Amino acid sequence: MVSSEKPLLSVQGLTVTFDGFTAVSELSFDLFEGQTLAIVGESGSGKSVTALSIMRLVTLGTRAKIAEGELNFRMPDGSIIDLVKADEAQMRDIRGNQISMIFQEPLTSLNPVYTTGNQVIEAIRLHQDLDKEQAHQRALEVFQRVRIPEPEERLKEYPHQMSGGMRQRVMIAMALSCDPTVLIADEPTTALDVTIQAQILGLMRTLQNETGAAVIMITHDMGVVAEVADDIVVMRNSKLVETGTVYEVFEDPKEPYTKALLASIPRLGSMTGKSRPELFDLVEMEPGA
Amino acid sequence: MSDFETLVEVVDLSKQFPVPGKAKVHAVEHVSLKIGRGETLAVVGESGCGKSTLAFLIIKLLESTSGQILLDGHDITDANTRAMRQHRQKMQIIFQDPFASLDPRRSVGYAVGEPLIVHGEESKGSALDERVGALFERVGLEREHMLQYPHQFSGGQRQRVCIARALALRPDLVIADESVSALDVSVQAQVINLMMELQQEMGLSYLFISHDLAVVERMAHRVAVMYLGQIVELGPRSAIFENPTHSYTKRLLDAVPIADPRQRRERPLLTGEIPSPRWEHGTSPELVNLIEVEPGHFVAEE
Repeated sequence: MVSSEKPLLSVQGLTVTFDGFTAVSELSFDLFEGQTLAIVGESGSGKSVTALSIMRLVTLGTRAKIAEGELNFRMPDGSIIDLVKADEAQMRDIRGNQISMIFQEPLTSLNPVYTTGNQVIEAIRLHQDLDKEQAHQRALEVFQRVRIPEPEERLKEYPHQMSGGMRQRVMIAMALSCDPTVLIADEPTTALDVTIQAQILGLMRTLQNETGAAVIMITHDMGVVAEVADDIVVMRNSKLVETGTVYEVFEDPKEPYTKALLASIPRLGSMTGKSRPELFDLVEMEPGA
Repeated sequence: MSDFETLVEVVDLSKQFPVPGKAKVHAVEHVSLKIGRGETLAVVGESGCGKSTLAFLIIKLLESTSGQILLDGHDITDANTRAMRQHRQKMQIIFQDPFASLDPRRSVGYAVGEPLIVHGEESKGSALDERVGALFERVGLEREHMLQYPHQFSGGQRQRVCIARALALRPDLVIADESVSALDVSVQAQVINLMMELQQEMGLSYLFISHDLAVVERMAHRVAVMYLGQIVELGPRSAIFENPTHSYTKRLLDAVPIADPRQRRERPLLTGEIPSPRWEHGTSPELVNLIEVEPGHFVAEE
């Protein structure tokens, strides 16, 4: 990334605690326009808590606290807002409009008793001053944009009538419906079959080119990271372990943990020419906290 | 296959589930395959392709609609619960979610020892504790862990407990149904290594059900690719991964993201979904015709 460019989101010393337990510790990184930043790590490393902190969802109805740090977000008018200090009304305006999020399991993110159209239209009308007819038109547009076939028909369907991949398209449509500048995707393809995952990754890449949004991709899958990321933040035990471009991290990892993580990935094609199964050549990982 | 003596043979096995509206879901459709002693046969495919149903049919957690299952030469297709008892010792299964597979109110030592008691090999006492302790050590746990409860363990440790339990009766075949899918990648690699070491030591056969092709490439001797209840390609690992021939196998392999940023792939934008395996009464899917394109490598005609 060009360092002279101003970041869209600058995370500085973010520390999140749950009743004394530190889930994220002194985390800092910058996100730029059009960039895809992958936050990778294993269960419990703090990657999802980081995402929820940026949305300021982490403190809603939980005992979590953003104990320290700044989340400086650049608004479209150029002003900088610290999301840690923003009031709830400001956050409501930012969520969806400026920063939106998609989750791993689209079925739990969608309400089973309303049609998908109903839910997308609701999201649009919450954030934009549109009447019902205009919102419907807008919903149709975003369904088309995420390449949902027969969008008019699909708007009338309930979540259970759709496949997992189609539901994730609906979630992406909803997330993009207000043209956010940052899209946070928390394990968006983890629950999907591999051929559907390929479609969704391709779609996300195309949409990013079309909209210029910055994407924070939270994932544990190093294959997905290699495919989509410009830059990587590796997390472990609530801390940043290593950060760099996708090439730096994959080709010249500096930290022992990153090396161990990369050594344990099953890589398609790594067994070419070998006649028998082979053990993983594991790098000893120092025990976690 | 020629390297291995046959342990399990499945002939023309089918399973149909009745669904509302006089229709049936053809989950497994005329599948035939063999699993050799000491061999890992991986079955790969996407959600709903019938791979788990196939595993359940072989271990008889589900009754097949038609076809035959031979274990070590014995026809167990119609064996009743009682007759299955002796065969069950030879076949064990490990599931995806180790937490759901363990009783939260019982110590993990009990979980591992229970099959030995049920099958009358041991009764409670120091001999049982000794065998269970040895199993714990063998799967990389400590004897002291025996008295603890499932919630006190991490996911990888719980899966080790499930492996210890599966091995308690010294089975010939272990069915692993997405057994490493829920584990973090570093833990997954350790558990896969453990499974391969145990195979070499004990001469185990694995029926390894997985959607993860990179894991399968690592540990399988042979691979069967399933699509809509049928095997569309079957062959030695090298044939499937280095010379994939059926269009579905190719599509599946192309979809796998490669952990190398210099090998990014073009991705399709359009949706393509797997058709439904639901068939109205009186209708049925067209059966594929497997052709042997090279020794041991079978591909469905297209």
